[in-house]
Amino acid sequence: MLNTIWIVMILAGVITGILTGRMGEVSDAVLESCVNSVNLVIAMLGSMCLWSGMMKVAQKGGLVNNLAKLLKGIFRFLFPGIPKDHSANGAIAMSISADLLGLGNAATPLGIMAMKELSDVNKNSTVASNAMVMFGVVNAACIQLIPSTVLIIRQQAGSTEPSSVIPCIWVASLISLVSGIAAAKLLEKFNFSKG
Amino acid sequence: MILMNFISDFSIPGVILIIVLVAYIKGIPVFDAFIEGAGEGAKTALNILPTMVGIIAAVSVLNASGLIDILTDLISKPFELIGIPPETLPVLLIRPFSGSASLGMFSEQIRIYGADTYIGRVLSTIMGSSETVIYTLAVYFGATSAKDTRHAVAASLISSYMGMFAAIYICKVL
Repeated sequence: MLNTIWIVMILAGVITGILTGRMGEVSDAVLESCVNSVNLVIAMLGSMCLWSGMMKVAQKGGLVNNLAKLLKGIFRFLFPGIPKDHSANGAIAMSISADLLGLGNAATPLGIMAMKELSDVNKNSTVASNAMVMFGVVNAACIQLIPSTVLIIRQQAGSTEPSSVIPCIWVASLISLVSGIAAAKLLEKFNFSKG
Repeated sequence: MILMNFISDFSIPGVILIIVLVAYIKGIPVFDAFIEGAGEGAKTALNILPTMVGIIAAVSVLNASGLIDILTDLISKPFELIGIPPETLPVLLIRPFSGSASLGMFSEQIRIYGADTYIGRVLSTIMGSSETVIYTLAVYFGATSAKDTRHAVAASLISSYMGMFAAIYICKVL
């Protein structure tokens, strides 16, 4: 999909540039953008190291397991039908804590692991179970305790108080999460199947 | 307001302290564990560099050519009527579909409008509170045998846009 989006963006941009007579600006912008993206990734490199490292410490220190125990009641409501001692519970907890730390791409492998466990509980059927859909939705709602990438980009953009948006992000995430769970619980009653 | 400042100042050091302290009490070699995880994080970050260069280059072409201004001018009126700032539209529209594209757009927009302005804060909240829903679902379900994802896409999009629209109003209040 990105292949199409990318070519459309470049084509539309260059054509508009010709029409508006701003090719000079466009050409400067392209060269400048390379420097900007490297700066951005270098800035993100540090925070990715920090939070992935913290995640590993939290995992080994047992915090992730504690979180799983803490969330047991909620898990039973969100993901009904998972046997109590099934490894899916731990996998979901790991994935959610990686989300909480805002690990983004680093959280993906953990999410995939959890989804596979849920699929296992679903006897690897070709039709997703309610629990699988709910896990996808909860993951997509993405409750971030520390939105590290956003903070880094804010800092790069010259923010004097990068972390001032954290409370806003928490509230917005919560609204997104609650409406996602409600939507999933409601929509699971209707037949969305393709076949 | 004071409480908000307290929360935003203490959240990062607080989380770090709890994580490290708990692991240390359990007798984990905390620094070794940290280094192991940090190495994995570095790899992930480096892996996205090529994507970022490609997307940010394309976004900068769109910006410099004036197309983004023209487009946002065109569709801004109806959105302004329901209280959505037109400057947030590009990120709002692309966010559920591509993480790197929205990240590239976000970092360009925030440089133009300023990080501490209302627009900058709304954009930050949108980025921080939402996910690349379509990509996430594709990757997660792609790893399983489930070909029929039922209401997953619908529910995720509802969740995403509820959060993003909420961001616009929350940033006015907080």
